[in-house]
Amino acid sequence: MVPLMLSGSVQAQGRGAQAPAPTTPRTAAPFDPTGYWVAIISEDWRWRMITPAKGDFPSIPMSRDGQRVAEAWDPAKDQAAGEQCRAYGAPGLMRGPTRLHITWQDDNTLQLESDYGTQTRLFHFGGTPGSQGAKTWQGVSTAAWILAGGGRGRGGARRGSMKSVTTQLRPGYLRKNGVPYSAGTVFTEYWDLHTEANGDQYLVDTNIVNDPVYLQSPWITAIHFKKEPNGSKWDPTPCDAKF
Amino acid sequence: MGSHTVRREILAASLGLLMGSVPASAQIELSGSYAPILYEDYIERGPGSDLGDFTGMPLNDEARAKALQYTSNLPSTVERQCLAQAPWVQMYRPRGMSIWREADGAGRVIAWKIGGDFLRDTVTIWMDGRPEPSPNVLSTAAGFTTGKWEGDTLTARTTHMKTAWIRRGNGIPGSDLSTITAHITRHDDLLTIVTIQEDPIYLTEPHVVSRVWQLNPRANPDQYVEVNCNTANEIPRLQDTAIVPHYLPGKNPEADFMMRTYNLPKEAAMGYAESLYPEYRKRIKGVYTPPASCGRYCCGWIERQGLPGGAPGLTCNDGGLGDLGPPRRDASEGAKKPPPAKK
Repeated sequence: MVPLMLSGSVQAQGRGAQAPAPTTPRTAAPFDPTGYWVAIISEDWRWRMITPAKGDFPSIPMSRDGQRVAEAWDPAKDQAAGEQCRAYGAPGLMRGPTRLHITWQDDNTLQLESDYGTQTRLFHFGGTPGSQGAKTWQGVSTAAWILAGGGRGRGGARRGSMKSVTTQLRPGYLRKNGVPYSAGTVFTEYWDLHTEANGDQYLVDTNIVNDPVYLQSPWITAIHFKKEPNGSKWDPTPCDAKF
Repeated sequence: MGSHTVRREILAASLGLLMGSVPASAQIELSGSYAPILYEDYIERGPGSDLGDFTGMPLNDEARAKALQYTSNLPSTVERQCLAQAPWVQMYRPRGMSIWREADGAGRVIAWKIGGDFLRDTVTIWMDGRPEPSPNVLSTAAGFTTGKWEGDTLTARTTHMKTAWIRRGNGIPGSDLSTITAHITRHDDLLTIVTIQEDPIYLTEPHVVSRVWQLNPRANPDQYVEVNCNTANEIPRLQDTAIVPHYLPGKNPEADFMMRTYNLPKEAAMGYAESLYPEYRKRIKGVYTPPASCGRYCCGWIERQGLPGGAPGLTCNDGGLGDLGPPRRDASEGAKKPPPAKK
């Protein structure tokens, strides 16, 4: 398969007198990711909904160094050091019990906010603006559309996925109980929208955490969010290292 | 094949190339063998769920009551050891799967097949537009499934299933009125399957699960397709007694297992839909405190690979998970020695 990936704006060339409007990542989107979404915690409930005990970390292919760091987890120390957002960096945030609010910041930038830890992720289509700055909890994300059928075909609804790659991450936790990821982590995500016959919509984030330091192999999971009609349940809460 | 036929096919192919005529309902190759990635719900998909752990489920009262009658001796009875499981139960089991297509004489795909095993029938996803049969048609272990492409996602809908447990190892019931919608999407060598189960008898809202498999080109396809299930007398004391293992209502000694073991509020483990959403976390803040240490299924993957991993102050107990991987070394091997006592 050679998928067609659209990552930047495209200047459409028309032959008529009036040139059509330029195609941007926003207008080229094969699905609409915007709106309010809620995580359904139907998997790994005990590790996602609540903070598990120290040392309770099945399911994650940690390296020996990763395990050593996780076993030294001290949430009170994190809180005192102002590091209470360690579990709210992108790879940990997405598996958290959160609502998402997704909007277009501009024609080339998709913005994802979480009420859990009040974090903001930006997905840059067509490359990242600026230079490599300081590492942050949400890092730097590039994004591209993957059009179904390689972008070929005529008629019918436009469909496809979004692929994002996040780097420049400040070291944090994959889980609230201190399972670490390092600054060298690359977080790759494939986003798909599924619409049910009754109108329900699910946004599915198939993701790969690749950390050469604290993982033995990439940690691969899928996370699903359900579309909500509005933001009435949006409830921003600050980062909390202990609960 | 005659020369006219060849010319017609070349012409059709050429026209197709000229017109870029991939159908708007695009599709993607799914055939292959896929290995499970057990990085979610490992305990359930490995050794099996804890009894009384209904976290993540939207159960109604009837489902809860029925699940609490369950004992793990039940599937060990001879007549139930080979009982067919639900058609999409691979979402909860540690097994890979093979997917292949069936084509008609013209090469058109008429069905996708997801190979079964000794406890799960092969699921046939009909792509030829055939209608769903009457509700009165016999339900089978595989159910009846139709599919359609939505972009690069194959969406399937399964009906006509038999009554079967949902999830794995602790008796959560599913009725024969269940329907399951499955979205199958492939990204490179990863295959994501999302299942949405609706059950008017036992669920208060759709039960949604998403899992990932990885293409395994080295797999022997037969590895994932086993058809023989053999029974054995697993519980001699029950042989020829006609006893059906169960707990009477209110008598299940494991009903509070999750409270005792993980400090969960009781209702948190009982599968109420409200516990699936973020606001539930806020509700139990101040009620739940994590256990002081991990008492079972701990130690991550290091211990299961036979490497020492326990740290001072942690009780290293993987609950037997090491049996699923390479032989373990002695738990104390390589562990740090405590510092000498000061005089």
